[in-house]
Amino acid sequence: MVAEPADGPVPRGVEPVAGAVAGLLAGLVVAVPQSAQGMMAPGLAGFTSDAVGLGLFLVLSALVGAAFGTVFGYRPRGYAATMGGGLVAGLLWWVLRSLTLQPLLTGGGPTWALDAATASFPFLIGDVLFGGLLGLGLHLLVGLFLRARPAAVPHGPPAEGPSTRIVILGGGFGGVAAAQELERRLAGATSVEVTLVSDSNALLFTPMLAEVASSSLEPQHISTPVRASLPGTVFRRAEVESVDTAARVVLARPSPAAPAEALPYDHLVLALGGVPNYRGLPGLAEHAFDLKTLEDATGLRNHVIGLLERADVEPDADERRRQVTFVVAGGGFAGSELIAELSDLVVGVVRYFPRLDPAELRFVLVHSQDRILPELGPQLAAYALDKLREKGIEFRLGTRVAALRADAVELDDGTEVGTRTLVWTAGNQPHPVMGTLPFPRSRSGAVSCDATMQVGGTTDVWAVGDCAAIPDPDGDEGVLYPPTAQHALRQGAAVARNIARALRGRPPQPFRFRTLGMLVVLGHQQAAAEIRGLRFSGLVAWLLWRGIYLAKLPGLEKKIRVLLDWTLDLFFPRDIVLTQVPRTPRSEPVLADRGERRA
Amino acid sequence: MNRTAAPSALWTGAVAGVAGGLVFGAAMALVGTLPTVASLVRTDSLAVGFAVHLVIAAVLGAGLGMLVADQRTGAGESLFWGLAYGAFWWFLGALTLLPLLRGRPVDWGVAAAEAAFPSLLGHLLYGAVAGLVLVLLPLAGRAPPGPRRGTAAAVLRGSVAGLAAVWLLVSQLAAAYEPLALTVMQAAPRPVVVAGTALLGLAAGCGLALLYPRPADGAGPLLIRGMAYGFLLWVVVALTAVPLLRGAGLAWSAGQVRDGFVTLPSYLLLGAVTALVYRVLDGAGRVLFAGPAQRARRAEGEGAGTRGIRAAVRGALAGTAGGLLFTVIMVRIGFLGTVAGLVGGTSTTTGLAVHLVISVLIGASYGLVFRRQTYDPASALGWGVAYGLFWWVLGALTLLPVWLGGEPQWDAAAAAAAFPSLIGHLVYGSGLGLVYYLLEARDSPWWRTRTQSEALRVARRQEQLQTAAPAVWVVTLVLALIIPVILAAG
Repeated sequence: MVAEPADGPVPRGVEPVAGAVAGLLAGLVVAVPQSAQGMMAPGLAGFTSDAVGLGLFLVLSALVGAAFGTVFGYRPRGYAATMGGGLVAGLLWWVLRSLTLQPLLTGGGPTWALDAATASFPFLIGDVLFGGLLGLGLHLLVGLFLRARPAAVPHGPPAEGPSTRIVILGGGFGGVAAAQELERRLAGATSVEVTLVSDSNALLFTPMLAEVASSSLEPQHISTPVRASLPGTVFRRAEVESVDTAARVVLARPSPAAPAEALPYDHLVLALGGVPNYRGLPGLAEHAFDLKTLEDATGLRNHVIGLLERADVEPDADERRRQVTFVVAGGGFAGSELIAELSDLVVGVVRYFPRLDPAELRFVLVHSQDRILPELGPQLAAYALDKLREKGIEFRLGTRVAALRADAVELDDGTEVGTRTLVWTAGNQPHPVMGTLPFPRSRSGAVSCDATMQVGGTTDVWAVGDCAAIPDPDGDEGVLYPPTAQHALRQGAAVARNIARALRGRPPQPFRFRTLGMLVVLGHQQAAAEIRGLRFSGLVAWLLWRGIYLAKLPGLEKKIRVLLDWTLDLFFPRDIVLTQVPRTPRSEPVLADRGERRA
Repeated sequence: MNRTAAPSALWTGAVAGVAGGLVFGAAMALVGTLPTVASLVRTDSLAVGFAVHLVIAAVLGAGLGMLVADQRTGAGESLFWGLAYGAFWWFLGALTLLPLLRGRPVDWGVAAAEAAFPSLLGHLLYGAVAGLVLVLLPLAGRAPPGPRRGTAAAVLRGSVAGLAAVWLLVSQLAAAYEPLALTVMQAAPRPVVVAGTALLGLAAGCGLALLYPRPADGAGPLLIRGMAYGFLLWVVVALTAVPLLRGAGLAWSAGQVRDGFVTLPSYLLLGAVTALVYRVLDGAGRVLFAGPAQRARRAEGEGAGTRGIRAAVRGALAGTAGGLLFTVIMVRIGFLGTVAGLVGGTSTTTGLAVHLVISVLIGASYGLVFRRQTYDPASALGWGVAYGLFWWVLGALTLLPVWLGGEPQWDAAAAAAAFPSLIGHLVYGSGLGLVYYLLEARDSPWWRTRTQSEALRVARRQEQLQTAAPAVWVVTLVLALIIPVILAAG
C-alpha cells in the first residue's frame, strides 16, 4: 500500500462524495458475480428486468456509500478500521434492505424470520464483499484526494490566540450563569476566550447559607468549584481592582502581595454583586456579622457555639444574658430565615450546656417596616410572623438599628438590647468597584443599564445581578428588576445570549422575566411560599422549599451531599464542634506570655 | 505507515500467514479439502495442494501485516484483526474467487455456504493464528514486545475472573449447561465435570489476561471482546480440541457444528462474563489503589458517583428509544404476550410494559459500561449492535426461558426460531447506541477542543480507533448473522 498523506482535516463534502464513488465502484464489482447468479432482478412490481435491477442496485450502492462516507469518514492510516467499518455497514445494510425494506416494498411485510434470511443469504455475501470494498475504496479515494490537493487542506494550528475576549467579573449566580451559557453558545468557536474573574473560586448557593450557619449543612456542600462547572472557561481567582473602560482592560489582583494582572476585553460583563451596606451606622463595621460568604456563615456558627460555651461558665448573670441573646437586623428573606435557623440551632443544642437556663435564650429580629417579608403577600407574612413568634422570637417592628457596641445594640426608639451577636441583613449596596466606573448609576449605586443589560452609552459593557439596575420593559417607567438570585441567573444567561448575538452582528434583545415565586423557610419543617400566585404554608411549603432549592443547587454531587446531610439531620443531633475557637480577651495574655518566653 | 516500515510489515505478515496456513492446512488435510486447493494448479497431488495453500496463506498474511501495521500492537488487537480478516477472505476467497479460478459458477446460496462451513472455521483459525504470531514477530520501526510489567498480576486476575465466571454460570443456570458437559462429559462423574469446567474457566481467564494484560478501554468494549473471544474458544475447544482428543476427528462439518451449537451460548457467556469480571477486578484495583497522580491522569472531572448516575440515566433514555424500535418487530412477530409471561400476564399491554422496563434497564447498564466509549455514530452502532447480540444470547436464549420456567434455549433449532428476536435485539442495540451517543455528545462535548485537557482527551479517543474495535464489530456481526443462518438451514 502507498504512503499516507499527512494528518489533517478533510474538507467538507469530500467524504460523502468519495463514499458515493467507492460505493458505485464496489457495487460494480459485486454486480458481476451477482448477475452471474441471476440476483439482479429487483422483484418490485412491474420491474423485473436485469437492467433496471442493476441500475437500482448501483444507485443504492452509491447512496449507501455516501452515507457510510458521512458517518464513518476518513481516518488517517486507518484502512483496517475503515474496512472493518465497511463490513459492519454491509451486514447492517443487508438487515435493512433484504430483511426489512424489500419485504415491505414487495407487499409481504417483514417477518425477520430465518426463512427470509436463508432465502436472501446470497445477498448477505454480496453485501459483505460490498462493504469491505466500500471501506477500502473510501479510504483510498480520500487519501488520493488529500495527496492530490494538499493545498486545500489547512495545516498547522489555527490563528494564534483568541481573537475575541469576553471577561466576566464576579463568580456569583449572574457571572457563572453567563459563563455557562457562553460555553454552550460558543462551544465550537475556538477564537473566543471567556475569562471569569472572581474573588471566590466557588459558586456559593446563598439560599442555603443560613443552614450552614445553623450547623445543619456542611459548608463545602453548598458551593461548587467554578473550575469544575466551567471546563471551557479561563478562571482567575482575583480581586477586581479597577476597570479602564477606555483602554478596555481590567486590573485584577490575585493576592495582596502579587502585582495586578491586566486582562484585556472585547466584551465585559459586570456581575460583581453586592456587599453589606451599614449606612454609616457607628459600630457596625467593627462588631456586626454578615451573611454573604461561606466564611461569614462558618464564622457566625463558631461564634454562636463559642458564646454558648462561654455562657455555660459565665458567673456574671448580665453578661450571660447578653451572650445568649441573638439579634438579627432585617426582616427580609435572609433575616427571617436566619433568625429561625439560629433559634433551631441554639434551642436544639442547649441541652449540652446544663448550666444554661433555656428560658434565658433570646432571639430578636429588628425590622424597619411594619411587617416582615414585604416581598410576600400580607397573609403569608402574617403567617410567617406567627410561626416565628411561636418559636419564641421577639420582633421589634418599625424600628431601626441606630448603633452597635461590643455588648449591646442601640435602636432608634431609644431602647437597647444587650447582646454579643448582631447579624446584619438589613441592606446591601453594589460592589464598590461600581463607584469607580464612569457610568451613570441608580439611587442604590448600581450601574444603570438599558433593557438589554447593556450599560448606558456603551456597546461592550454589560451588567447583571445585584450590581445592575435593569429596567423591566413591561413594567412602569423606572421599575427595576429586584436583586434576587432567580433574576441574576436568568440575566446571566440572557446577557450571554446577547453577547453571542453581538458577536454575530445581530442586535441584543431586552431581558424579560416574571418572578416565578417566593419561598421562605421558617426553621424546622415550616415554610411559606408563593408560587405564581398560589400560596403554600407549613410542611407542604417546607417540602417545596427543599425540593426546589435542591433542584437549583448546582452540581449532582452537591445535591446528593446536601440530601444526605438533610437525611442524616433527621437521625442525628446538630454538630457543636468548634472549628475555630474564638479568641477571648483572657487567652491573649497567655499567648503573648508564651511568645515572650520562646523569644 | 512510513515507507521503510512497509516491506517489513509485508514480510512479518507473510511469516505469520505461513504459521496460520500450517494450522489451516493441517485442518484441511484432516477434513480432506486439500485436493480442492490443488485443483487450482490443475493437479490432485496433496503435497502440491499444501504448497499452493501455504503460498496463498503467505500472500494473504502479508496483506494482514499491511493492514494492522498502523494499528495498535498487542495480542488482543491483532487477534481480532486476524479473525475479521480471515472471515472476510472466506467470503471473498472460498465463496467467490476459488470457484471463479476453478472455472466454476459462483454460488452464494446457503447450501454452498453450508458445504464450505469447514472452510469458514479454517479461515477463522488461520486469521487468529496469524494475528497472534504477528504480535510475536519483531517489526521495523516498532519496539520488540519485551516482557511486560504486571502480566503476572493480570494472569492472576484473569484466573479469578475465569473461575468466577464459571461459578456464576453454573450456579445460575442448570448444571447440565456447564460449558464442557454437553460435548465430552455427559456420562462422566460429577467431580470430573466440575474439574473440567473449572479448568476451562481458568484457561479462558488466563488467555484473556494474556490478550489484555492491561485493558485500555471500558468495561463494555471488553465485554464484547470477551464474547468474541468466547466464540473463538468455542471453535478451538468445542469444535476442534475436544473432538480431536476423543479421536473423532474434526467436528467441522455444518451438521456436526449444528449438534455442537448448543454449547456456543455457554462459551459466549463464559467469555463475556470472564471479561466483565476481569475488567471489574482491574477497575476495582485502580479505584482502590491508584494514587492521586494516577487518578488525575484518568480524571474525568467528576467523581465516579456523579458520572455513573448520569451515564445510567442517559442509558435508560437511550434504552427507551431502542426499546420502541424493537417494539415494532415485537408487534409484528407477536412476541409481546410471551414477554408478559415474565410477570405472569398474557396481554399485549402487559408485555409492552415489561418489554419497555427491560429496555430501560438494559439501556442503563449500557450507559454504565459504555460510558465515553463511543466517539462517533460508527462506534455507537458497532458497540450498540454488539451489545444487542449479547442480550439476545443472555436474555432471549437464556434468562427469558429460564424465568418462564423452562430451560435455556440453546440448541440450533431454538436459535433459528428466535431469529426474528435476534434481529430485534440488533435493532434495539443500534437505537440504543446511537441515542446514547447523541445524548452524551449533546450534554458533555468532551471531544471538542476547548482547552488543552480536552485536546488530550480527543487524542485518547482517536487512539481507541487504532484498537481492534472495528474488527470486533465485524466478528460479532458475522457471529450473529452468518452462523445461525447457515446452521439453521439444514
